[in-house]
Amino acid sequence: MTAEPGVQELRELVAEFEPGRGHVMPALHKVQDTYGYITRTAIEVVARQLNTTPALVYGTVSFYSDFRTHPPAETEVAWCCGPACRVMGGDRIREALQQELELPLNGQTPDHRIGLHIGQCNGTCSEAPQVWVNGEVVGDLTVAKAIRLARELKAGE
Amino acid sequence: MNSRLEALISSAKQSWASEQASGRVRINVTLDTSSQAKGAGQVIEKLHAAVAAKKLVADVGITGSWGFCWMEPCVTVRTAAGTQTVLYANVTPERVDELIEKVAAGHDMPELALGVVEGNPTADIPLLSDHPFMQGQVRRLMANLGITDPENIDHYLAHGGYEGFGKALEMDAEAIVKEILDSGLGGRAGGGFPAGRKWDFLRTATASPRYLVCNADEGDPGAWVNRVLMEGDPHLIVEGMLIAALAGHADAGYIYIRYEYPLAFARLKKAVEQAYAKGLLGKDILGSGKDFEIVVFLGAGSYVCGEETGLINSIDSYRGMPRIKPPFPAQAGLWNKPTNVNNVESYANAPMIMRNGAHWWSSVSDAKEKGTKMFTFSGSVNWAGCVEIPFGPTIGEVIDRWCGGMRPGLELKGFQPGGPLSGIATANRDLTLTLDPYRELGMFLGGGGIVFFDQHTCTVDLCSYFLGFCEDESCGRCTTCHGGTQRAVEILRRIQAGGGRDVDFENFQKLVSTLVWSNCFHGQFAMTTVKTAVKAFEDEWREHIFDKRCRAGVCQGLIDYRVRSAGDPALTEAAELCPTGAIVPDGSGYTIDDPRCIRCGACKEVAPNAIEVVDRFAVRVAEGAAAGG
Ligand SMILES: Cc1cc2nc3c(=O)[nH]c(=O)nc-3n(C[C@H](O)[C@H](O)[C@H](O)COP(=O)(O)O)c2cc1C
Ligand code: SF4
Ligand code: SF4
Ligand code: SF4
Ligand code: FES
Repeated sequence: MTAEPGVQELRELVAEFEPGRGHVMPALHKVQDTYGYITRTAIEVVARQLNTTPALVYGTVSFYSDFRTHPPAETEVAWCCGPACRVMGGDRIREALQQELELPLNGQTPDHRIGLHIGQCNGTCSEAPQVWVNGEVVGDLTVAKAIRLARELKAGE
Repeated sequence: MNSRLEALISSAKQSWASEQASGRVRINVTLDTSSQAKGAGQVIEKLHAAVAAKKLVADVGITGSWGFCWMEPCVTVRTAAGTQTVLYANVTPERVDELIEKVAAGHDMPELALGVVEGNPTADIPLLSDHPFMQGQVRRLMANLGITDPENIDHYLAHGGYEGFGKALEMDAEAIVKEILDSGLGGRAGGGFPAGRKWDFLRTATASPRYLVCNADEGDPGAWVNRVLMEGDPHLIVEGMLIAALAGHADAGYIYIRYEYPLAFARLKKAVEQAYAKGLLGKDILGSGKDFEIVVFLGAGSYVCGEETGLINSIDSYRGMPRIKPPFPAQAGLWNKPTNVNNVESYANAPMIMRNGAHWWSSVSDAKEKGTKMFTFSGSVNWAGCVEIPFGPTIGEVIDRWCGGMRPGLELKGFQPGGPLSGIATANRDLTLTLDPYRELGMFLGGGGIVFFDQHTCTVDLCSYFLGFCEDESCGRCTTCHGGTQRAVEILRRIQAGGGRDVDFENFQKLVSTLVWSNCFHGQFAMTTVKTAVKAFEDEWREHIFDKRCRAGVCQGLIDYRVRSAGDPALTEAAELCPTGAIVPDGSGYTIDDPRCIRCGACKEVAPNAIEVVDRFAVRVAEGAAAGG
């Protein structure tokens, strides 16, 4: 894993953002897009840049489910919790995935290889029930297919 | 019309005409989130390669969605002479070579064809307009989808784009508001509040600057109408906002797009950049002396940021917590300045209202709700797609016509009309797609995402999901909402686990009457699903609570998985698949070690004849009695 970005580097990254102009989210997106997650130092740097407190910036980070304070796993599996998927048996797929990957929702294996988290429906319900593997839809799942997928991921295929 | 706009339009029309008369075959691929899920990106790459390999004189382009989301990737092929265009579906990467081979030989490919878009039908390929899915649709918002390249502003301009804005430029603000009011355009997020009245609030506000917000958060799971529009014809939204800006003297606009829609975000960003480049946004627009800026803003995963004041806080503040109203956005919105919030589809209707007039727009049907509306359908039906129709058809018509019926073996049990706050309706095929019937049932029609379910769905489980969603997404401001949804989830899960109690109906009633005191609609309507489901599916709920029985075979605490025929050879695969190793050898066959079973159902998928789902309580009570209890 690469070292966490330093203060100077972060300051340059967010130098374009200004207080009072709706720049909190864009600044946080830029940090996460660049490093994959938002570090404690980044929260402090963004707060300073936007003339506010780290508490308010941390509050923002923790409010939204797509901001991360830890690096993502190599392979992130997002399980669609939406209604079309649920109607097609999605919750049993979650049960099996958690069991097979030995992970809670929003958990990560100790070696950071595989992560599992909740995904929200993006309107690809025609493929329900589904998961996203690193953003790619794996649809038309059955529980059996989900178990085999999890085994392949664990085996590193 | 503004002469600079006229020049833009005429040059766009020329370039469109020369594209059409290029004498080259034109192959267009639907490129949106649904088609990407089926490999549309790869299809484009393979098309380029196949065209080169066959030395076909052809161009490969992209379009927005036709609405045939369940048959993506969709591809149109227009002959070199321009005499015929055919729409093909299910053109997966594996089918590309075959298609191009046929096209290169001057043939079509009836087995993948959906219909003829322009030109004459053939013996094997009917007109697309005769396809059952297209029947009864009135495609106005979706007119360009499948036809134009959403990333090309000239394509938009060549199809009447920015003409509505051109008309509005010559009118005063009051006249624009009047046209919108006359049309009867109601808010498309589901409230139906007249857009013209909202715009008039902004027009008559005294403070400045003033803001427009386009609500592109589309947080209702199971709804993707706004996504289809943004990905397919983004300039419609830019133009709609420009018209609203003239009507309300707005200085700047924000388009707030949810994080789950990266392609919509990219397309709108591009559309806005192109509009700036053509002088349609910025200072002194087309020399008119008017200024208007648009910022495309990306959310980060929060349902309550779809609530208008949560959205405003998400832009101008820190956490996206819905504000306490009043003041309303019209008085104090973004940076406490007058702000108008409308849904994507509300703005997108404005260009054609200006272009063709309020009367033309509203006379599409006799329904009280004017104009057309986009809907997406999904769940237990054959077709999960996107349509544009006048308000008014019945649920029965919807299922038969635009959903291709229920999937084999599935019966309609009910449906979710419009998101987690909207309620759950029974299998009433006579309910119409209009606002009132749902209001009368204490529900909402919502923003257009309808999810159908069947006998294998349990309404207690469905409510457990919806309330879990509401709990997760509560912003935490009101104890009624964050504590109340948490309590509701606890009760629902307890019922699902077999611990239902007599007092639970009363508990729900208490929660319903407590949550209405929440600050925003999220809390106020979080219990709608439970309230409506308990009433509409009372027998099912009583069975869960009193008889400890889940007729759909879903609730984990109320069912057991059992081996019915221990010698079935399929059990070997089931045993290998079982994620907990619960299927264990037993004599010459297998049995299920119940404490290990997590009721995932994988075994039943691969050994459907060997495994059965039984009522846990009924069976155990009976077995206990047989054992001499
Ligand atoms: C919890 C919650 C979520 C909402 N989500 C959305 C949404 O995703 N998109 C939307 O347009 N409106 C949403 N709304 C409704 C908005 O608050 C607002 O009424 C709407 O954007 C007004 O647009 P319209 O008048 O054009 O329909 C939501 C409301 C609530 C309470
Ligand atoms: S939430 Fe807790 S830490 Fe924050 S202001 Fe209130 S009391 Fe203080
Ligand atoms: S009702 Fe819920 S979501 Fe709305 S402000 Fe209160 S706590 Fe937040
Ligand atoms: S339901 Fe799942 S956990 Fe239970 S026996 Fe079948 S495969 Fe195993
Ligand atoms: S509900 Fe899973 S993709 Fe829509």
